[in-house]
Amino acid sequence: MFTRLLWKLLHASRGRLVVALVALVSGAAVISALLNLQFDIERKLTQEFRTLGANVVIAPPNVTSAARSAAEEPALIDEASVWKVLDPNLPKGNPRETRVEELKPQLEFLAAAPYLYFIGRVAGAPVVVGGTQFGAAFGPFGLEPTWKLETGGTIQAVEGSPSCVIGRNVAKQLKLSVGSPIELQYLDQHRQFVVHWILDSGAAQDSQIFVDLRAAQSLLGVGGQVSLIQLRVNGTPKAISQYTAHLAALLPQYEVRPIRQVTEAEGELLSRIRLLILSMVLLILVLTGLCVLATMAALAMERREDVGLMKALGGSISRIVGLFLAEVGVLGAIGGLAGCIAGVALSHWMGQRVFGTAISARWEIFPLTVALMVGAALAGALPLRRLGNVKPAVILRGE
Amino acid sequence: MFARLVGESFVRNPRRKILTAAALVVGMAVATATLTVALDVGDRLAREFRSLGANLLITPDSDTLPLEIGGVDYRPVDEGAYLDEASLGKLKTIFWRHNIVGFTPFLDVPAVVSVDGVKVHTTLVGTWYEHAVLIPDGTKFKTGASATHPWWKVQGHWFHDDANECVVGAGLAATNPGVFSVGKTINVAKSENVGRTQSLTVTGIVLTGDAEDRAVLTPLSVAQNLSGHPGKTRQLFVSALTKPADSLSERDPKTLSAKDYDRWFCSPYISSISFQIRQFLPGTDVRAIRRVADTEGRILARIGLLLWIVTLAALAGAALAVAATAATTVLERRDEIGIMKAIGATNSIVAGIFLAEQVLLALVGGTIGFCAGVGLAWILGESVFGTPSSLRVVLLPVVLGLAAIIAIVGSLIPLRHAAHFQPAPILRGE
Repeated sequence: MFTRLLWKLLHASRGRLVVALVALVSGAAVISALLNLQFDIERKLTQEFRTLGANVVIAPPNVTSAARSAAEEPALIDEASVWKVLDPNLPKGNPRETRVEELKPQLEFLAAAPYLYFIGRVAGAPVVVGGTQFGAAFGPFGLEPTWKLETGGTIQAVEGSPSCVIGRNVAKQLKLSVGSPIELQYLDQHRQFVVHWILDSGAAQDSQIFVDLRAAQSLLGVGGQVSLIQLRVNGTPKAISQYTAHLAALLPQYEVRPIRQVTEAEGELLSRIRLLILSMVLLILVLTGLCVLATMAALAMERREDVGLMKALGGSISRIVGLFLAEVGVLGAIGGLAGCIAGVALSHWMGQRVFGTAISARWEIFPLTVALMVGAALAGALPLRRLGNVKPAVILRGE
Repeated sequence: MFARLVGESFVRNPRRKILTAAALVVGMAVATATLTVALDVGDRLAREFRSLGANLLITPDSDTLPLEIGGVDYRPVDEGAYLDEASLGKLKTIFWRHNIVGFTPFLDVPAVVSVDGVKVHTTLVGTWYEHAVLIPDGTKFKTGASATHPWWKVQGHWFHDDANECVVGAGLAATNPGVFSVGKTINVAKSENVGRTQSLTVTGIVLTGDAEDRAVLTPLSVAQNLSGHPGKTRQLFVSALTKPADSLSERDPKTLSAKDYDRWFCSPYISSISFQIRQFLPGTDVRAIRRVADTEGRILARIGLLLWIVTLAALAGAALAVAATAATTVLERRDEIGIMKAIGATNSIVAGIFLAEQVLLALVGGTIGFCAGVGLAWILGESVFGTPSSLRVVLLPVVLGLAAIIAIVGSLIPLRHAAHFQPAPILRGE
């Protein structure tokens, strides 16, 4: 009987219910989309910060600039020992994109590039030369995605390739352009390279030449050794410092330090932006909740006549109120579910539009949104309790 | 008559109006708050991004290639070109001078530091911490590493820009334990044999997380005197508030039409600011530090877009709330409409009365909502950015207009419904 009445109620006043349902669905859609966004924003933002470049450096211990003054050999680090720690299953080839297993949930992305620096001579002029892996350093998934390469082709990492990347200032000073051959001299060794790319970084690298790491190592006669390794670790500031500490413990022979300019600013900006989005989302949650509440309150008030009739027919007030609460509850649940699905689509669109990648839906959002919707709908129906005082005769007379 | 009808409706049954008014107030308050935040989030976030430090690097144009490894310039001091320290004040005279938040010159000098008989080869980095720069218009502007390198942390305190003091990098202090402690006096010389020495008092140990950790930071004038280049500097880091790059800023200014050029020149893009700096400091090379500038631009653009979407969601929510309440009002007043129609009111008069009521409500609700929204934005700005949002009176007409549109659009559907009401069955009570 109860379900039949409920069904009749829902069925008979379809027109009015559609209005309420539209409000519920759109409210739930907005709520679930914003909740999705709120849960995903941190990950999205840390991905954006990737373009800041390296944030952790592995360097030989205690390199004071004092070391350079004498004919002392600069301290180097053994490449293999670091790669072994970074990822035992490191794929051969570039870009180096790996995950460190135990920190996987917090750390999103890891790129690493080795550098071997020395001062060489080109046409008699001293210039800083860095041996590196082109893909890992300049590639689209490499360490420095913001650096611009003026080039005819894409970066490809060829082991021992005779091509080189020269900084913008180097090109200007030495009057070189893409395709020019250069002869690099280190002590009494000579090596031929061809300029393949001109680099614009806006930083010190504009005055440097980059060659393939293997070529640099053979030129210097230091196989398997590098000056430093730069890493990009994505994640919350806490996760990054944990990771750094973890790495430092695994590599006690080297100095592992975060680049504070990047890590500090990242943490600060991340918390500001998250707070901003959170407060906006909360505002809209409250607004949408109120909107649903108002709609349901309006719907409930329309039921006065039905209540009068039911009372006249002998329905107990608790039963009648129960019936209507069930009605709005069902409405809330349906609206919430449909809204959630619409919300997933909405957040997908939002992610595509704003970040270029979809915001992944979280299943926790579904029960949360439905519960919120049912709660708001029931709260909106609370004025129905006042129907206990309704005098059937008065209402039925139409007063 | 029309005005009386509308007025009576408010006086006779104010309770019925409260629901719609409340929906409007809440909706417009949220809309005002989100609009206020969305409008100045760009400026505010750009300021926050200055915690990343400088986004422009100025070097002398005819400079030889710096031999810089790990932030230490291996070039002999006498080689290469220099910037004039005296001309740096001109930075605050460019068109976008207020967007220049700070600038810091750097001059690296290889030096030998002797303290307690220990000799250490290191680099002396001459810079400003909080230096009062004389601007051509006669005022002074305080700037230095405190503005462009906010992540530098010092134990003890910073040197005074006019004193013979220095701070020692944490790495250098750690490798020579006990030698560089705060309060000690160190002697610096250009090289071991050259007699010119300078005594400096260590006032702090600085942690920069970069190459300066292995250097000694001194006031710029100390480094200048030691290197024999008074009044000169080698690099200048500039921190400027910029607008995210868009299609206009990416184009080459030489190819722009006169109108586009003006628009480009008068927008604080990183490219237009560096162009203006080049005009005021001839013979320099001004480059955007890509890591910082690109990241900043992209994140600013994304957050801006995101906030506009959120603002739209707020507006949609407000519209829905108002529309829902308006629909109920019309349904509740079926009897009234029936009577009006029975005594000869046309559909347009009925619609007119309802719409007039709605607009009146929208104006009242919108105004109250605006005031509440300003308060909300104030709190929001205070809690997120530490400074309250400024009041934007311009938003009042916008919000009122929005409220009116929402209220009218919200009542249109139920009114169209009402047009089909037949007076007779309604009056019979069916």
